[in-house]
Amino acid sequence: MNHIIKDLLGKRLVFFDGAMGTLLQQNGLAAGELPELWNLSHPDLIRSIHRAYLDAGCDIIIANTFGANHIKLRGCGYSVPEVVKAGVSLAREAVNSCGRDAFVAMDLGPTGKLLRPMGDLDFEQAYQAFSEAAQAGAAAGADLMLIETMSDTYEVKAAVLAAKETGLPVFATMIFDEQGKLLTGGDIPAAVALLESLGVDAIGFNCGLGPEQMLTFLPLLMEQVSIPVIVSPNAGLPRSENGQTVFDVTPQQFAASMRKIAEHGAWILGGCCGTTPEHLAATIAACREISPVPISPKNRTVVSSYTHAVAFGERPIIIGERINPTGKKRFQQALRENDLDYILREGLTQQQNGADILDVNTGLPDIDETAMMCRAVTGLQSVTGLPLQIDTSNPATMEAALRLYNGKPLLNSVNGKQESMEQIFPLIKKYGGVAVALTLDENGIPETAEGRFAIAEKIVHTAERYGISRKDLIVDVLAMTISAGQESAAVALQALSMVRERLGVHTSLGVSNISFGLPQRELINATFLTMALQSGMSAAILNPNSQAMMNAYHSFCALSGADPRCTAYIAKYSGQVAEQPSAAGTLLTLKDAVRKGLRESAEASAAEALKSREPLEIIHNELVPALDEVGRRFEERTLFLPQLLMSAEAAKAAFEVLRTHMTAENGPQERRDKIVLATVKGDIHDIGKNIVKVLLENYSYDVIDLGKDVPPEEIVRAALENQVKLVGLSALMTTTVVNMEETIRQIRRDIPGCLVMVGGAVLNQEYASKIGADFYSPDAMGSVRYANRIFGHS
Amino acid sequence: MTAPRVREQEALRYLGLRGHPADNRTLDLLHSCSSELETGISPRCVSQRFPLQIHGNLVQMGPLEAVSSKLAYHLRNCSEVFLFAATLGPFPDVLIRRYSALDMSRAVVLQACAASLIESYCDLCGHALAEQVRSEGLYLCPRFSPGYSDFDIRFQKLFLDILNAQKRIGLTATDSMMLAPSKSVTAVIGLTSHPQSCHKMTCEDCPSTDCPFRKDAD
Repeated sequence: MNHIIKDLLGKRLVFFDGAMGTLLQQNGLAAGELPELWNLSHPDLIRSIHRAYLDAGCDIIIANTFGANHIKLRGCGYSVPEVVKAGVSLAREAVNSCGRDAFVAMDLGPTGKLLRPMGDLDFEQAYQAFSEAAQAGAAAGADLMLIETMSDTYEVKAAVLAAKETGLPVFATMIFDEQGKLLTGGDIPAAVALLESLGVDAIGFNCGLGPEQMLTFLPLLMEQVSIPVIVSPNAGLPRSENGQTVFDVTPQQFAASMRKIAEHGAWILGGCCGTTPEHLAATIAACREISPVPISPKNRTVVSSYTHAVAFGERPIIIGERINPTGKKRFQQALRENDLDYILREGLTQQQNGADILDVNTGLPDIDETAMMCRAVTGLQSVTGLPLQIDTSNPATMEAALRLYNGKPLLNSVNGKQESMEQIFPLIKKYGGVAVALTLDENGIPETAEGRFAIAEKIVHTAERYGISRKDLIVDVLAMTISAGQESAAVALQALSMVRERLGVHTSLGVSNISFGLPQRELINATFLTMALQSGMSAAILNPNSQAMMNAYHSFCALSGADPRCTAYIAKYSGQVAEQPSAAGTLLTLKDAVRKGLRESAEASAAEALKSREPLEIIHNELVPALDEVGRRFEERTLFLPQLLMSAEAAKAAFEVLRTHMTAENGPQERRDKIVLATVKGDIHDIGKNIVKVLLENYSYDVIDLGKDVPPEEIVRAALENQVKLVGLSALMTTTVVNMEETIRQIRRDIPGCLVMVGGAVLNQEYASKIGADFYSPDAMGSVRYANRIFGHS
Repeated sequence: MTAPRVREQEALRYLGLRGHPADNRTLDLLHSCSSELETGISPRCVSQRFPLQIHGNLVQMGPLEAVSSKLAYHLRNCSEVFLFAATLGPFPDVLIRRYSALDMSRAVVLQACAASLIESYCDLCGHALAEQVRSEGLYLCPRFSPGYSDFDIRFQKLFLDILNAQKRIGLTATDSMMLAPSKSVTAVIGLTSHPQSCHKMTCEDCPSTDCPFRKDAD
């Protein structure tokens, strides 16, 4: 019977049941106790609650398996399949006894943990937990999978991927607060974009709010969705009374609100915390005669992150192109050195300058592209809410990144070659996403607009055969340089218009290709950008750090009406004084700029100094003495941590200027002595380690930063691979110092002669000695002094 | 409830200034970080009231049973407790991670400001709870958290489960019992009819005499 639930949707309203936990608490379930274990200890009670909801007229009974995953059940004495089987069987028995058709939903609630980077649960571990539960539910005979009470887009993605593999219909509902936000910060459009693209069969709200509060957010949900909507509110907002959580909305009040919810377009109605069979009976009585409101497909081209969605077509979208090693020696070096921070800074700078989406390309022949792409995607998503465009020609890299991306990404790219479409479309079908479709195929890039249009049309039709709507494609008609053929610009512009008007598909271009081989490329690029936007280009892949390009973009938006009342234009440009060239004599010396912690001045002074002096001489005579002085004052307590770090950042900015210069002149620079730094396993915050890192880098150490929550084995491996003499470890909690001790033990065992310095909130000299560390650093400068001593740079 | 504010002196103490005057650039940074945090956070709290029984070092707080001589002493004049949890949500963690890549000086100042902000928010929640019980002639004792003294930090998980904190306010614990999001607090708050017994824990009461944040240091 399991697929019939989908056939029922839209023919009449469908009713879920109400709360289970509330009724179990009334029967003696203690706070903190696992309700799912009552499937085994109180089967009659569970069955009778299901039966009461069936007697109230509910169509779908939710098995008591909300928390039946191995993370929540850990240590309870029962396996996940045992608990799930008991739960699904009880629901099935209740259905069989009620004398009419009804369905059993396998309930998949959250793991109770936050996923990385917010918490310590790995995405794949979450997937495994849901997979085990979902498979057990399917094996026990559930008719559908209900993923509910989710407050994190990442966790819900893991659950949906696992649930879909059962082949059963998958419904997913999430919990929003009074501001219409998930507890992890995401909004409704972001949740819809993700869940629809993962292919769930119905979507909606549950828990957290009462029916009237949900009603206020329902129109926003209805604006976004093209699939059936579920609404399962609490019986009002929870209130504490004599130590008990109580809910105030009566069955009649609940039913009256649910009637409005049905009239606003929800097809599937149910109840969450505080609701009872009476609430559902009243709701069914009040709503039974309402016909489901037809759902209109929205045809919106949308990508998303874990915070928000970006829709194409409302205004032109800027896709920042800077995270890409092509033609950038400094970026290539960062990739080879695994320097994630460099990539993150490239991303954040583009965000500050107005990018809506960040392109991410880590393809370099001599590095592991998949591993680097995955690090870059998770790293970027831990610091920015901008959606990402995963840019790779390697399908394995594409799949790995798509899987762990938190949201609905852009993919760059698919093209008209049969092989490309066969590789990419199944990935989109499985993981969701919008693909950039390049108008080239086995015969190359057509010279005419008609030729490019024909390829676009072929890609669109092939995608549709895979079940991928054209709204999930963005056609890139390819800008080719006018230095090789002057008609290139006209062909691209014409193709843009044809694709936009005749296929109704959104478009993009890598704008700066147009000027390849010409001088003063920005002049051409900025003008071409305006022309392309005028021809209907929906998204531009460009460098948002280029003021000329962004000036053209903002002006176009103001002129075309894409910037209502010129609000964005005025906000950006009013009060902006035309830049005055600084008079020669006002530049601070590099030494002063670092002492005072002035980053821009330090950059400018370093650039100025390079005109007449060698980089190494500047480092030895300006930077190092300034850093030494600041460090000494920090130790004397005449200057404090924020100032020390302002100076460190100023020095770092100056180093970056010198380094870029040296890389350009002499190729990649060999750095000096290597040090491995890590925050030990179990610790998910690494601010202390990062402070030490920035200071050590100031002193030209090559810091191999393994990040946080790093297992001992990984630290040992990195230390061995890089043949380091010194490892720095940080721990924050009494519970994780044991992992520090274990790491030191393994270093001693496997790397004789390697020294270990430690630091962190819970440590002191005595403790550090006890766990066998060579050096305890009470503050940030201590580790620099120790390293200088070890490596003989006093 | 009014919106929580960063307490400047407290944040400076976390930054190691301990009473030294801050320079203008540090103050500017502190103000800018404070306003970025104060406008961006979505603080939430949850609490539930339970009867209290103490037998020697065994403290029974509804479904939570802990052996802790310090907690037993702390609650000796109480008849009930609130189990309380609060969080500033994931926003401070995202900001701190972001600025760790961009500008460590801002990251450390954000860290100090957020630490002050969660304290300030907990105090506001405490005032609201005190208001709830005032008509019953009851007063609140200062907060006492898992991990303080001999109150085992491993109670964190059960504590959160009892309050249903993951679902209600998005608060979880890692396997090593670190709260996630990090700018969060769990605490027992005793209810007593003796206002004079509401001894506020100060740095002087704490055995960690070498703590860099100790108020009486220097």
